[in-house]
Amino acid sequence: MDAVEREHAEDADDAVRIVSGLLRRGDHGEAFRERRTVVSWSASEAGLLAPSVAEERGTAVRIRHDPETLLFAREGDGADALREVVRDASRRAGGSPFLKPRLRPAPPAAPTALPAPTDEQAAAIASALARALPDPRGIVLSLTVSHVVVTRAVITARGFLACGRSARLVATGAVRRAEATRPFAFQSAAPFPDAAGAFSAALREAVRPVAASLPLRGEVDVVLSPAAATVFWHEVVGHPLEAEGRNGHSVLSRVPRAAVAPAGLFVWDDPGAPDQPGSYVHDDEGSPARRVPLIEDGRVVGLLTDRRTGGADSNGHGRAADYRRPPRPRLSNLFVSPGTATLEELADRCGSGLLVHAISAGTLEPESGRFLLLVESAEAIRRGRPGAPVARFALAGDLLSALRHLDPARGAVSRPAEGLGICVKGGDALPVGGSSPAILLRGLHVSPGRS
Amino acid sequence: MTVPVPRPDDGLFDELLSAASREAAREGEGAELYERCGASLELAEDDDGARVLVSHERGFALRLFRSGRVAFAAGNPDAAASLFRVAREALPRARTRRGARAAPAVAGDAAASRPADRPALPDEKVARDVLAGFRRSLATSGDGAVLLREATVTLGERSERLATTAGRDAAWTSRAAALVGTVVGRSGAGRFSARVVAAAARPEELPLARLSRYAADRVLLPLHGRPLEDSRRDLLLDAHVASHLVGRLAPLFLGDDYDPLLLARTRDGRDPLAAPVVSLVDDSGATGGPVRTTRDGEGTPQKRHVVVERGVAVSRLTDTAAAARRGGASSGNAVRRAWSEPPVIGVTNFFVDPAAGLAPLDLLNPVARGLYAAVLLERPYVDVAADRFRLSVAGYLIEKGRAGGRVSEAIVSGRLSDLLRRVEAIGDDLRFVSGAGGGVGSPTLYVPGWKSE
Repeated sequence: MDAVEREHAEDADDAVRIVSGLLRRGDHGEAFRERRTVVSWSASEAGLLAPSVAEERGTAVRIRHDPETLLFAREGDGADALREVVRDASRRAGGSPFLKPRLRPAPPAAPTALPAPTDEQAAAIASALARALPDPRGIVLSLTVSHVVVTRAVITARGFLACGRSARLVATGAVRRAEATRPFAFQSAAPFPDAAGAFSAALREAVRPVAASLPLRGEVDVVLSPAAATVFWHEVVGHPLEAEGRNGHSVLSRVPRAAVAPAGLFVWDDPGAPDQPGSYVHDDEGSPARRVPLIEDGRVVGLLTDRRTGGADSNGHGRAADYRRPPRPRLSNLFVSPGTATLEELADRCGSGLLVHAISAGTLEPESGRFLLLVESAEAIRRGRPGAPVARFALAGDLLSALRHLDPARGAVSRPAEGLGICVKGGDALPVGGSSPAILLRGLHVSPGRS
Repeated sequence: MTVPVPRPDDGLFDELLSAASREAAREGEGAELYERCGASLELAEDDDGARVLVSHERGFALRLFRSGRVAFAAGNPDAAASLFRVAREALPRARTRRGARAAPAVAGDAAASRPADRPALPDEKVARDVLAGFRRSLATSGDGAVLLREATVTLGERSERLATTAGRDAAWTSRAAALVGTVVGRSGAGRFSARVVAAAARPEELPLARLSRYAADRVLLPLHGRPLEDSRRDLLLDAHVASHLVGRLAPLFLGDDYDPLLLARTRDGRDPLAAPVVSLVDDSGATGGPVRTTRDGEGTPQKRHVVVERGVAVSRLTDTAAAARRGGASSGNAVRRAWSEPPVIGVTNFFVDPAAGLAPLDLLNPVARGLYAAVLLERPYVDVAADRFRLSVAGYLIEKGRAGGRVSEAIVSGRLSDLLRRVEAIGDDLRFVSGAGGGVGSPTLYVPGWKSE
């Protein structure tokens, strides 16, 4: 337990009593504490520019009284903030706050210091930039590189639950060359020096000149590298199986138990996976993080739920972007079962098509199942061999059709997708992770110049 | 609902400012202290019920300047006392950049030099009325074929105060309202959903009727229309579609980062950037704009600022540092996305000036064979560096000035500079959408004989 977790737990017994007193018969709910520290650097092709440090503390109280949910949030993550927000919530909920006077006056809060950027951090990031851009001529870089540490705790009527502390290195911005601007996003939950190394490698890849030759148009068979496949699964299976709406809001959630993909395919979401950006111990409603199978042997078998959609049976996927936002059923880290093929074997099975290395973003329209993936880096496959790099393009398809035409052969090696970064849904941004083997999809629609 | 009483001013801002001024003076530094207090209410309704979210926040941010270096630290009141120390520790690690300094006093500061008022919590009844109004409007526009699956109304108020050791001291307040809906269109051809957004400076200014018409087109056109293959056509870009395109141009005018590119595009200013009917303006007081503020994130008073006049780029949007580098005064475009982030140069309401505009029907009349692009189906792709754009749109065919068949998808693409220079006429129907970190707007644009690549 680190210093912030200890601070959050200091008034644990008192906090549990306060939350318990807030909830009336038939109510469910909890309090939520969060502290977010962000040490950032603005960076250009010339190196690091300006440092910034920000710390945000907040407390929220949520009361669910079917069919209404109330959420009250306020700055501060200590005992006084909890009492204030409970007072606000009690007024709105029509009750009287149950705030017994403390037996002893609270000791004066020790001034909590904000962390300053360290020389080691600055040196590691500056060195990563220098390695990625040994010759920055012709490149305009506009990045924000941040080390983000988030500590969360949930207080229910039954107890105090530490959700854990997560630390990530995040970089976002754009790389501009004469011929194109490329968005750049990176994140890693690995220890800082390793994360800085991975950041350097990702940036080096992003600053390469953009290929000019256009990919094939129309219907194309596509091999997705492990990194690109992770984004595909996230959009095409993960989001549609987030439980929302009583009648199923997506083509996939409306067909439980249906065989939608080749036998032998297993897809699951696991918030408990170590060293992944989307990992946590308890979700933001205090439910234990659970591994949830979504597709088993090609069949749809699960949905990701929170307290609102799953009640007491929530499988621990109620996630909130920050203390001000309501938890909603969201993905954490999505995994796909590997196969036995090598990337070369998949290219050989493809014959003529595309090998996609990196996808920068994706969207899915859940009702129709139409999806769009923006491809940043790819090569043409001719006669079973990857060759010339091609210009950026978009891959479009239909969810059910894409899964039906997924080749049963999959790569033997699963790799985490560092470019998966932050997932934004309904304006709420959350860190997500996962890993996938390389896959072969038949008949996706290629649209050049759309990326 | 009961409105919590705002907490009285506790003098923390003045205490922090006084300490920062004292400390900064010793080392010859400049300091800027900023405080934001906010209250917001969000009402959301979906299949599973209703959610009411009430949020109060208060945060402080400090920037420390020394010899062109700048460091930033931000925290809640609990941690505010350590902001100066953290910024000073970070300062030596910053790189020198010309122009970085604490903003000086401006006329009118003396009158505003008082603690900002604590914002009151917006009224829940107003949010419920907005939501009910949107439902009614959507029922009419969608003719029963469009369902509202989820809708969220957010109302917010905030008060800000900023003071610098160079004499600036200002306080101001602002409000905002937003409506976000997820709509589902159903027909024999299937289902299609979309998320639609409207933002305004006041809840009563939210364009509910326009949003519901847009929402209905957004989900029904892909179901009922036919795809349109590439061919040369006259192009009418609806104000909503054009606004998103205009928003993507904004980075060209933010500070001096894009100066080399802009000069290259216009042959060192000898060529126009756009057609003579196109003037681009940033105005925090624009009617119908979602942003309505009196000061920017550095406390600089804001006013209307023309960046492209009759097709020619004439100025840039700046903050204090960029203005100093350019040898002028700040245009008042330092934007703080949150109190916990340093200010950056951004837009307020950035739009095509409709002063030279015609009635939309007058734009329609000369169209012999055209496409009216009514909605965007995807986020537009615009790369100002590569001078390319690509819009995936749905809309209506136009034959001899009259609307024809529905188009489920068409791609409008090509060189951005060509499109801007070939705008022949604009409408007088200026509309705003959220974009580029503020509001972006345009009237309907008419481009004759456009052939997508």
